Amino acid sequence: MSLLKEPPPGVTVDVDQAHTKLTEWVVHMEGASGTLYEGEKFQLQFKFSPKYPFDSPEVIFVGEHIPIHPHIYSNGHICLSILTEDWSPALSVQAICLSIISMLSSCKEKKRPPDNSYYVKTCSANPKKTKWWYHDDTV
Amino acid sequence: MTVVVLEEDSTITMATARAPTASDSTHSDNSSSNPSGGGAEGGGDDVPDNSNFECNICLDTAKDAVISMCGHLFCWPCLHQWLETRPNHQTCPVCKAAISRDKVIPLYGRGSGNQQDPRDKLPPRPSGQRTEPEPQGGFMPGLGLGEAGGFQFHFGIGAFPFGIFTTFNNWGGAAAVPPAPGTQQYQEERFLSQVLMAMGLLFLFWLIFV
Repeated sequence: MSLLKEPPPGVTVDVDQAHTKLTEWVVHMEGASGTLYEGEKFQLQFKFSPKYPFDSPEVIFVGEHIPIHPHIYSNGHICLSILTEDWSPALSVQAICLSIISMLSSCKEKKRPPDNSYYVKTCSANPKKTKWWYHDDTV
Repeated sequence: MTVVVLEEDSTITMATARAPTASDSTHSDNSSSNPSGGGAEGGGDDVPDNSNFECNICLDTAKDAVISMCGHLFCWPCLHQWLETRPNHQTCPVCKAAISRDKVIPLYGRGSGNQQDPRDKLPPRPSGQRTEPEPQGGFMPGLGLGEAGGFQFHFGIGAFPFGIFTTFNNWGGAAAVPPAPGTQQYQEERFLSQVLMAMGLLFLFWLIFV
């Protein structure tokens, strides 16, 4: 409700998609104005497990355009602590979207993570199976 | 009870942007008594704003409500399930303050009606804590002589190396209040005094017969 009533700027839920399968959502988002991602459009895919909200959803970027960002791998996986160990059941889809937009907006230089090619070759399809190492609070 | 209803204007009109199964497993037993449960489906605008009393986890009106020391409201079943998820790192879902089963307070509203004792339910909700009010200041509080136990007198055998048994202490003062009967401390102190008494008697016999 709150996501639809007062979403963060540029965020919309693909309602038709969510209607066909409640446990998989696609959220369209736009880069915030005044940032490096202004005008760019991205799709985020949410997959909710039966344990949600006690377990975090699986959130990845999908589609043609994956944002180029030091914490976003080219396969769409996102290195963001609230998606795994800092997850809280009080977090909503809206809160996750806002965190990701914030992460994009604070980026100073568009580049892939330094280990991108290695990670993309070796990782699981599910980013929650990656043992993430959260070390960079600046972006 | 997190149903996504599609209306003509193609907006999702259920409580939140939250996937299904959020509360199905935790609230199957009490959905019928939820005052806002049925009404919310008609669309958000005509429903009175109950969001102040929504559980921060399932987003329904809190059932078997408990509140954390940091002031955040939850259904006890929801919070219990979260605490079970991370037993070694129990934090408030809203503000990440440290919380635990002993640090939440149950809320008892008047309208809860024929509620059975919530502690009989599973998972049990922690009971309320009731602190006795401060005593109203006794007779001669400065000296403490008027209160039972304000004056204690310990006596032992006074032979030289064992002079430590002879103690005169606790002429009043707060530290001299004996523990209430029945508590663990009371039992321990009784046991200790019996042991010392036995040691004293043995020493006495030794003095007389040897």
